[in-house]
Amino acid sequence: MIQRKDSNASNSQREVLVANDLRKSYGPRHALQGLTFTLKAGRVLGFLGPNGAGKTTSIRILTTMMEPESGHFVVDGIGSEHPEEIRRRIGVLPENLGFPRQMTGIEYLTYYGQLYGRTAAQAREYGWTLLEDVGLQQRGKSLIGSYSHGMRQRAGIARALLNDPVVLFLDEPTLGLDPRGQQELLELIQKIARERGTGIVLCSHMLSEIESICDDVVILNLGQIVARGTVAEVIGRTQHNIVLRNALRVQVPTADVNKARQVLNTIPNIMKVSPIGEMEGWLRIELMEPGSGNTSKAYQINNNILSAIIRAKIPILSFEAEGGKLHDVFLRLTEEAIK
Amino acid sequence: MSTVQTVIDPQVTRSGSGAPAWWLVFIRELTDLWVGGKALVLVFIYTVFLGVVTYVIASNSELSLIPPKEMVYETIKNVMAVSLFIGLIIGADALSGERERNTLESLLLTPSSRRQIVFGKFLAAITFWPAAFVIAIPTFKLLSQGDEIFGQGLFWGGILGTVMVFAYVGLGMLVSFWSNSNKTSYFVSLGIYILFLVPAQLPGTAQTGVMGQFLQWINPIAAVNHFLSKILVNNIKFSEFWTWIEAPVGFTIIILGILFLYAAPGLRLEEGRASKIWSRVSRAIGLTVIAGLMVISAASPAAALQTGIEPEPLQISISMESKTVKASDSIFFDTVITNNGTEASPSIFVAMNIINLEKAGEPIDPEDWSPQRTQSIDPLAPGGSATLSWRVNAILEGDVMIYMVAIPQPKGANVTSHPVASPGIHLTVTPFTKLNPGGVLPIAIGGPILLLVIIYFVNRRRNRNIDMGGS
Repeated sequence: MIQRKDSNASNSQREVLVANDLRKSYGPRHALQGLTFTLKAGRVLGFLGPNGAGKTTSIRILTTMMEPESGHFVVDGIGSEHPEEIRRRIGVLPENLGFPRQMTGIEYLTYYGQLYGRTAAQAREYGWTLLEDVGLQQRGKSLIGSYSHGMRQRAGIARALLNDPVVLFLDEPTLGLDPRGQQELLELIQKIARERGTGIVLCSHMLSEIESICDDVVILNLGQIVARGTVAEVIGRTQHNIVLRNALRVQVPTADVNKARQVLNTIPNIMKVSPIGEMEGWLRIELMEPGSGNTSKAYQINNNILSAIIRAKIPILSFEAEGGKLHDVFLRLTEEAIK
Repeated sequence: MSTVQTVIDPQVTRSGSGAPAWWLVFIRELTDLWVGGKALVLVFIYTVFLGVVTYVIASNSELSLIPPKEMVYETIKNVMAVSLFIGLIIGADALSGERERNTLESLLLTPSSRRQIVFGKFLAAITFWPAAFVIAIPTFKLLSQGDEIFGQGLFWGGILGTVMVFAYVGLGMLVSFWSNSNKTSYFVSLGIYILFLVPAQLPGTAQTGVMGQFLQWINPIAAVNHFLSKILVNNIKFSEFWTWIEAPVGFTIIILGILFLYAAPGLRLEEGRASKIWSRVSRAIGLTVIAGLMVISAASPAAALQTGIEPEPLQISISMESKTVKASDSIFFDTVITNNGTEASPSIFVAMNIINLEKAGEPIDPEDWSPQRTQSIDPLAPGGSATLSWRVNAILEGDVMIYMVAIPQPKGANVTSHPVASPGIHLTVTPFTKLNPGGVLPIAIGGPILLLVIIYFVNRRRNRNIDMGGS
């Protein structure tokens, strides 16, 4: 049972995290150059960026583990000059969080609950509630050392919720989990945001999961924000540039890949058909004429391609315009860093 | 981007109805250390060590000749040396270990004050010492063989051990504060431990002279050992030798001051870095210490050239001719210095000398045997005399000669004086009762076994509350 903290609709519009022009350097290297964004209650914000983009520095600053050189941030109305008060209002699941192997799950939560000011009895009771929320009530008395990686992540989330945080920071929470574990954890994160009204900052390299559960997204590159807004806004804003490249992707059964290539090569407007790296069954179709991606001519080409494959009796497993995914936006916006 | 005003909402701020953070951290660390943690293992190793040392002392015919005072003193010294090492190791793991295991961040993310976190960890780390000391009490009792040294040893060993353990745990935590991994922290701590310990183990000749004495005085371990040896073995009064605990106490205050006032509030995820100001201050302190050492060294009294001898009509007598005592017993006697001349004498120094008759007159350092190595008297009028009282503690078995030399103060730089020797006291020191190795065995073996039983039951009780199912 996830407790609902604030249920009124106006609360969901409340800004629970406001970062304003945060800057940080390590010697000559500018790790963060003016980080500015807002998170509202009950929303999940995806925090993206390639390695070295400044994600960890940002999270460390926003969770008061590090001081910015300049700039200011506010959590639930508390300014960054009051780090202890901010720590009362945030929950954090850091990447590579270590656990005391010799403690049981309930001992772990009771201990941290007490550090947040609860009595031992209160902390223990709430610890059991949280263990139930994250699906660990059956293993509460087991040593954390005996937990699987997924169970530890769940225990970590339970710990991060001990103080009923207004903002929850999750750094790569699904890293190392199997697909089922990933799915369950993402559902839990969504549940926390919706039912508790907690604003969640989710750092992840798994762009599909960001796209599936995040309301907003911030993409960092070389310490600067290169895109910010709702997921749809960011994709829409950037899609135009990407679709100018004029490419489509189609997925067919692996056995039909060669046949599909032959069929597609017969269509006049297609310049090149090639398999996509390690993505089994996927073909990338490059068109001859650049288009905006949403013109009637572009739609006609799409239809022609699909018709040709259907006529050849090849099942279509998936079809998409390149650039229509957060994945494409991310690659496009961060390619400078990769180069 | 909208602006949000910084206002602390009192309704949201938790009042902190639970226990203080330092207490919670202390209890948690205590459990980690003692229930299945490294403290019990270290105590077990320590107990085995203590048992072995005790048995060796009791069974070795050479070592068993050592009087109880020295045996207890040596054991206290060993107990402290091992305890300080363990304290340093536990302290060295306190922060860098958490960094290495990625568990520090969770702690730092709570609203607990950094100083309270460090204080709780410090309190838990020093719990090793009372346990180690209590375990050693039966050994002290056994080795003291009914001598008064037992009570004295407990008192002074307990006080000075506590002071030093505070310092060493604090030192380990400071190293840990500035280390990112346990490997670094342990390595540096071990280096510091050796740095302090080695000078204290140097032979006596290396510890003499102004500089040697100063280095011994300023080194906390050496100073404590020296103080204990004087108080416990040589029966010197505290009021005469208290300056030797200035360095250990000062060292402890400095370490704890740096830990709690300077370092602890800045505890963070990465290893601490000294600020520029601190770097300058520490450099200045280092230069000051070096300069001080150079000044003291330069001020060492140079031996003055002596060009003439002026005989003095002095006579010195002694109130004892010979005596047979057991090792660790004390003898008391007087010397009378008489001025038989026609003029007043200068100031007179009377120095004690002890030689070993069994080893071709090899000298024995009177400092180890007597609280009064030298005494002085004011100038004596013609025909006048002065009496000095002496105490000698028979430290080692053997046949020794004790005699006094009265040395008149030379009247000038180019004039010397004529020292006069007293008759000797022929002192025969018989060995103290030997320890029975069989009687030591119950403690030597029993301690570790008892501890193993305790470990077993602690773990069993702990496991009873744990669901042992796998994931």
